[in-house]
Amino acid sequence: MDRLLLLGMNHTTAPLELRERLAFGAQQRHEALRQFTARFQKCELVVLSTCNRVELYASRPVHERPREEELIEFVAECHSLTPAEFAGHLYHKVNRDVVDHLFHVASSLDSMVLGETQILGQVREAYAASASADAAGPLLNPLFQRAIAVGKEVMKQTPLAEGRLSVASVAVDYARGIFEHFADKTVLCIGAGKMAGLMLQNFVGLQPRQLLICNRDAAKAAALATRFGGHALAFEHLDDHLVAADIVLTSTGSTRPIITRTGFDGLRKRRRYRPIFLIDIAVPRDVEASVGEIDGVYLYNLDDLQHVVSQTQAQRTGAIDAARAIVARHVEAFIAWHRQRELGPAIHRLYSRYHAIAQDELARTLNKLPNVTPAEKAHLEDLARRIVNKLLHDPVQTLRHADADHVSATQYLHALEKLYQLNEETEPPPRN
Amino acid sequence: MPDVPNAAQLALLLTAMAIFAAGEVLSLARLKWDRNGLRLAAKACLYCGVLVGTGVIAWHSIDRGSWLPMEDNFDTLIWLAVLLALFVAYTQRTHPLRGLDWFMMPVVILLLAAAAVFGRARPREYLDSTWSWVHRVSAYGGAAVFAIAGAVGAMYLIANHRLRAKRIAPATNLGSLERLEHITVLSVTLGFALLTIGLLTGLMRALRAGNRLGPQWYAQPKVILTFVAWVVYALVLHSPINPSFRGRKTAMLSVLGFALIIGVLIAVQWMPRNR
Repeated sequence: MDRLLLLGMNHTTAPLELRERLAFGAQQRHEALRQFTARFQKCELVVLSTCNRVELYASRPVHERPREEELIEFVAECHSLTPAEFAGHLYHKVNRDVVDHLFHVASSLDSMVLGETQILGQVREAYAASASADAAGPLLNPLFQRAIAVGKEVMKQTPLAEGRLSVASVAVDYARGIFEHFADKTVLCIGAGKMAGLMLQNFVGLQPRQLLICNRDAAKAAALATRFGGHALAFEHLDDHLVAADIVLTSTGSTRPIITRTGFDGLRKRRRYRPIFLIDIAVPRDVEASVGEIDGVYLYNLDDLQHVVSQTQAQRTGAIDAARAIVARHVEAFIAWHRQRELGPAIHRLYSRYHAIAQDELARTLNKLPNVTPAEKAHLEDLARRIVNKLLHDPVQTLRHADADHVSATQYLHALEKLYQLNEETEPPPRN
Repeated sequence: MPDVPNAAQLALLLTAMAIFAAGEVLSLARLKWDRNGLRLAAKACLYCGVLVGTGVIAWHSIDRGSWLPMEDNFDTLIWLAVLLALFVAYTQRTHPLRGLDWFMMPVVILLLAAAAVFGRARPREYLDSTWSWVHRVSAYGGAAVFAIAGAVGAMYLIANHRLRAKRIAPATNLGSLERLEHITVLSVTLGFALLTIGLLTGLMRALRAGNRLGPQWYAQPKVILTFVAWVVYALVLHSPINPSFRGRKTAMLSVLGFALIIGVLIAVQWMPRNR
C-alpha cells in the first residue's frame, strides 16, 4: 500500500530568486533521482522543475520513509541549502490532493499564464527523466501517464489554450492572415526601442527575406540590426524603405505621425499597390488612422492588438470551469482505479485466508463424524462458506464504500491489513 | 440511344446531393465545435458524394452506350459537380484551405440540382459534331474553373473584411489573402483560356449553322452574358499590367464574373431547341 506525496513551490508561494536556487537542471535532476532511489528503496520520485515551479512527486509505502521533513532535507542537500532558507515557501500535499494538483498543473490550470501549453511538455519531460532513471514505478507511472492524457484532453476539448496572449504573437497571426509566404517579404522596423526589439523577436521567426531597421539614432538601429541580423537604414529615406517593405513595425517616440495619408497615397503606385501590414505600437501613434482606410493597407495599433489579447484572456477564463470539470472527472477515475488496485488484492487475501480457515476447521470436524453422507458434507461446506462471507461482508463493504476521501480508505485498508494480518508473508493462524 | 436519366438514376443523384449537403452541414458545424470527428465525418461525406456522383455518371454512360463525357446536360452537370468536389478534396489533402468546402459545396449541390432539373432535356441536334463537343467541354470546363475563382474570390472578400474590421482573432480567418488571391488569379487564367476556346468554337458553329440559330443569334442572352463575362475576366487578368486592380477588385470581379456565368448556364437551358 503506497502513499503519494508532493513537496513543491511555485510562482505564487516563492519569489523568482528562490525558485532559481531550487531549480533542478537535467544533470542535477538525474543525480537527485539516483540519490533518492538509493536512499529510499521501494520509493518513487518525479522531479518537475520549470521556471515557475519546483515540485517533487514521491510515492512510498504507508508508514515508511521519507517523511515530509526528510524530503525537505533531501531537497536542501541537493542544493547545498538549509531547510530554513526555503521551507516557509513550500506546500505539501498527500494522496488525493497530489493527484488533483498534478492534473491541474498538466492542464495548465495552475500556470502563471493560464492555458500555456509548454507545461504539458515539461511534465512529460520530467516523467521521462524519472522513467529512464528507474525512479518512477507502479504508482507514479500511471499517475503521470494519466496526467499527460488529462492535459491533452483539456487542451483539445476546451478553448483554454486557444488564441494568443501577447501583442507580438497576435501581430504575427495577423501577418499570417495577410501573407502566405515570408521568404519573399521585407520587414521594416521604424524605431529601435525595447518594444521594437520584442516585436522583432517574433517577426524574425517568420524568416523574412529582408529585415530593415530604421531609426533617427543610427547607433541604436545598428545595434538592433546586429542583434537580429538585419540592415540599419537612414531615417531620412523612410519613403524609399516604405516602398520596399511588406510589413512595417513602428514604435518611435515621435509626437507627430511619421506616416501620413497624403504621404502614403503618393507611395502606392511606386509600391505597385502591394498589400502592406502596418503595426503601429507607438504612443502617440506614428501612423495616421486614415492610412488604414486605403485599399490594401492593413493598419493595426496597440489597442487593436491588445483587444485581441483581452478577448483571448476572457475566452480562456471562460474555459476554466469546463477544464476543471474534466480534471475533476479524471481525478475521481484515478482515485477509484487506485483504490481498486489497492483494495482488490487485500480483499481477495482476506476471503482466501478465512475460507481456508473455515475449510480446515470443517475438515477437522468431519474427521470426527464418520457417517456424514456426501450430500450432508456439501451442506456443511456451504454453511462454512456462508458464515465466512457473512462475517466479512460488513467490514468489506465499509472498506469499499469508504468516503471519497482517499485518506480514509487508505487508513481503513491499513487497519484491515493489521487487524486481519493480511501481509502476504503472514502464515495462517495457528490451530488450537 | 437512351440519354434521358431514369428514376433510379435521379434517386441516386439525389442521394449524392444529400451526402454533399450533410458534409457541408458537418463542415459548417466546425465553426461552433472545432472537433476532429466533425472534420473526418465531413471529409467522409465528400468522398462518398464523389463516389456516388461518379456512379451516376457511369450508370448513365452505360445506359447511353457511350463513355464520352459531357454529351448531354445530365452528364455534363454531374461531371462539373464531381470535378469541383474532387478539387476540394485534392486541395484539402495537399494544401488545406480552411473554409474552401463551405463555399464550394453549395455550388456542387446546385450543379447536381440543375442536373436533376435540366437533365431530362434532350440534347440539341446542332451539338452532334466534334467541334460542338469541344465547344461544350471548354465552355462548361471554363464555368467550373470560374466557380472556383468565384468561391475563392468570395472567401477573399470575407477574409479581407474580417482583417480590416479587427474584431476577431486572426486564427479564425479563412486562408491568407495572398493565397486566396493567387488561387483566384490562377483559376481565372485557366477559365479565361477555356472560355475563349468556347467562344471561338461557338462563333464558328454559329457562322456555319447559318439561319438555324436565328438571324440575330448574337443578341441572345446567352451570347451577350458570355461576352460580358469574358470582358470581366479580361479585366481581372490585366491586373499584372495595372496592379491597382489587384486584391479586393480582383476578388469582386471574380464573384461578378461567376454570377454572369451562372446567368449563361441558365440562359443555355432556355435556348431555342433543335435549331
